[in-house]
Amino acid sequence: MRKFLKTYLPFTRAGIHGATAYRANFIAWFIGDIMYCFVMYYVWRAVFASSGSSTFNGFSMTDMVVFLFVTNLTGYLTESDGSFAVGEEVRDGNIAMRLIKPVSFDMTFLFNELGQKSLTFTLIFVPMLAGVEIYKYFTYGRVMFSIGTFALYMLSVAMSYMFSFYMNVCFGFMAFFLKNLWGFNILKSSILRFLSGSVIPLAFMPDTLRSVMEWLPFSSLSYTPVMIYMGKYSGQEAALRLMLQFVWVIGFYIISKIILSAALKHVTVQGG
Amino acid sequence: MIQVENLQKYFKKTVKQPGFMGSVKSIFHSEKETVKAVDDISFHVDKGEILGFIGPNGAGKSTVIKMLTGILTPTAGNCIINGQNPQKNRKKYVKEIGVVFGQRTQLWWDLPLTETYAVLREIYEVDEAKFTKQMEFLNEVLELQPFINSPVRTLSLGQRMRADIAASLLHNPKVLFLDEPTIGLDVVVKDNIRRAISKINREEGTTVILTTHDLEDISSLCKRIVMIDHGKKVYDGSLYNLKQKYGQMRELNFEAADENSILALDYENAFASNGLGEGDLTFKADGTMVTVAFNTDKISVEQMLNYTLGTVHVKDINVKDADIEEIIRRLYKGDAEHGGSI
Repeated sequence: MRKFLKTYLPFTRAGIHGATAYRANFIAWFIGDIMYCFVMYYVWRAVFASSGSSTFNGFSMTDMVVFLFVTNLTGYLTESDGSFAVGEEVRDGNIAMRLIKPVSFDMTFLFNELGQKSLTFTLIFVPMLAGVEIYKYFTYGRVMFSIGTFALYMLSVAMSYMFSFYMNVCFGFMAFFLKNLWGFNILKSSILRFLSGSVIPLAFMPDTLRSVMEWLPFSSLSYTPVMIYMGKYSGQEAALRLMLQFVWVIGFYIISKIILSAALKHVTVQGG
Repeated sequence: MIQVENLQKYFKKTVKQPGFMGSVKSIFHSEKETVKAVDDISFHVDKGEILGFIGPNGAGKSTVIKMLTGILTPTAGNCIINGQNPQKNRKKYVKEIGVVFGQRTQLWWDLPLTETYAVLREIYEVDEAKFTKQMEFLNEVLELQPFINSPVRTLSLGQRMRADIAASLLHNPKVLFLDEPTIGLDVVVKDNIRRAISKINREEGTTVILTTHDLEDISSLCKRIVMIDHGKKVYDGSLYNLKQKYGQMRELNFEAADENSILALDYENAFASNGLGEGDLTFKADGTMVTVAFNTDKISVEQMLNYTLGTVHVKDINVKDADIEEIIRRLYKGDAEHGGSI
């Protein structure tokens, strides 16, 4: 284990360096994302206003605000660039440079990304989440934060990220066969945004559709941790959801290994 | 040290029809064609040897290197390097080799060099004392000191290449693969890199396989070369023999003052007494630009220049060494003449 960390922690360091090398880019991305949150806020406010009641499928407007911001914050931690990074390296042939090093292919990507995530966590996630809690304090007039719920939420987020990472790696490896993933990446992210319940809460869906979507792996990307954070799940349901997440992580880990070994036999390094 | 037997690599390539309609068609239906990038190549390299691996563009050099380094899986055939099969247990195998692809970098784009080397030290598990010693050695032969704290993206091509070579040697590998390590570099940097490679080979006994288009690289580093073309091995032997046999061609390029004066040139007649054979002399004129390829065995450079300068007014002139493409052309001719025996 110590040797494992010694080998891969440098990649985390490299990830932190990489993220700080382009500071303006980082800030621009952050501002764009916050703006998206406010746009969504006004959309939902219009929806609530026209519905005429103060709750909508069990969500109050305050719930909706918390949902929007926490979904977005969760996204910072769970979204993975894996498919883009893997796909890009396959497309330009730089994958060769990773294969000549005595390191495991997926671990280098994983630890590199964990570097970026640790930065996002401290610089953006923690202050923003504190903001959400302050907002809740002023609306409800009391402290709503519970360490236990938060710990469960972080556990769920960790599994969401692992799932997201391995799913993206699987997808990225398809670049070995498709050569260029750009179009597929756009298609994938728009489908995922819907299926993961990050645009519209799954609770708003018709019952049958909702239960199908809840069992699909994609709900664990965003919806599961957010619902845990908001305390919408009972203890038993939360446990079930966490188990389901765990199963999907293992499943996609195995699939990614199979695809990788098949892909490496097929590798054609593009460009010289 | 390196045993390569009947190595083959076939690629499936999509055939694109020309034009817009062709592109549209290829989205729905594509024809595949098999390209034999490497077609039955065998050779071996001894420990401590520097082997020059040459051939024209697209001959399959890089594909062979990629199979030897474990990046590509051969369609058929075997290679055993340092007692290991590169395709089996990749992580263990690559620990004992070093690789440089001149057209790519293995350095982290955003990290300073020192950081990159620190990362590599962990990956290859080099202990502190050995690392310091090796760093000192590399610093001395490759002169890394002036830019060792700069991020890789700010380095010039020559600096980056030196840094890349250092990165491939940190763990003191037993075999070093260099795929065009001097591509695009100026003469001084090329020379530095050559000296570094030969020093490392001498002092550490590192086995080196080197591909290049630069005959200077070959002649200053390799005693033995393997030449391939169209995926097949066409020559395996000493550089000296090859040069003796086929490397005597020179190319004279000049720009005449006016087109009419070119008409006065008659090389065939002027050197008729030199006993010219097929391909010993070719003449090509395009406007005022003239190219004459000639065999220095038959016509000395001095004779050639004397005759040319004495006959026409010349604005600009240069004499070029035979390049690898030229040698391969000669090799094929020789092959046909001697009934296929090299």
